[in-house]
Amino acid sequence: MSTRQASVHAKWIIGQVIGTKMKKTAKVRVTRLVLDPYLLKYYNKRKTYFAHDPLEQCTVGDVVLLKALPEKRSKHVNHELSEIVYKVGQVVDPLTGKRVAGKHYLEPLTESTEDTELSLTEKLEQLNITASTPPSTS
Amino acid sequence: MPMKGRFPILRTLEYLQKGEVVFKKSVKIMTVNYNTHGDLSEGARKFVFFNIPQIQYKNPWVQIMMFKNMTPSPFLRFYLDDGEQVLVDVEGKDHKEITNHVKTILGKSDKVLEAEALAKMELSNPANFGPKKYFLRECISEVEGQVPHPGFVPLPKEMTGKYKAKLAANSDE
Repeated sequence: MSTRQASVHAKWIIGQVIGTKMKKTAKVRVTRLVLDPYLLKYYNKRKTYFAHDPLEQCTVGDVVLLKALPEKRSKHVNHELSEIVYKVGQVVDPLTGKRVAGKHYLEPLTESTEDTELSLTEKLEQLNITASTPPSTS
Repeated sequence: MPMKGRFPILRTLEYLQKGEVVFKKSVKIMTVNYNTHGDLSEGARKFVFFNIPQIQYKNPWVQIMMFKNMTPSPFLRFYLDDGEQVLVDVEGKDHKEITNHVKTILGKSDKVLEAEALAKMELSNPANFGPKKYFLRECISEVEGQVPHPGFVPLPKEMTGKYKAKLAANSDE
């Protein structure tokens, strides 16, 4: 048989990169929810996949979307990097498009119209606060 | 023996089989981003706790991944077979609203599900007999009201083969 079957069962996979020490290859850990037959509860089951990354743009900790290759590239590499979903340290919120860290935004959501050139002293002068005369003691 | 845990009903097959969302064939991955604190993620947290097991039970080949505390607002993201991505904002919604929304956009409709169930029923006719793996009953003797197997209950004398043979031999003479 010259043509083998389409390489893997899983066409699209999402996982976290755990190693990039190989040339142009990323080691990706994929977790799937598997039902424990007795407890009837879902637990994460891990499996590692190797993905072809021609530009070596992955770092350890990225969340990455892999696409199955039409043919096996080597004995273990069956997938290639499709896109980096969340880059570690530079997560971009898909709803707003701003950079995000945990629960707060790194970039301001709205463009501020205030003048940032004025320093604090100048702002205080503008407020015109004068010290009131102390009450005279009788 | 009582069930253990906060909501042990979530760990019953009956609850899992009651899941309503069956994804279309093109949905491959589902990703849920939510936060562990905050009122806006409350619906998303409930969705993950109550509905994700049902969804995974009904769609065993869809990869579901959860991400906590990555972005300030919660959302769902679906990755389809042709590379398309569907983003669903979930901020402030109730978990029931989220399941209904997901069902309408990416789930098989009730009609399609009924048609599939009907087709499945047609394949397996309960009136057929055969191995236990594929059919309900193996032999007519298993049905109530029919003659049971002589291995379990001895037949009345009149129905045994040797009595009938003796009768036939006696009548011939």
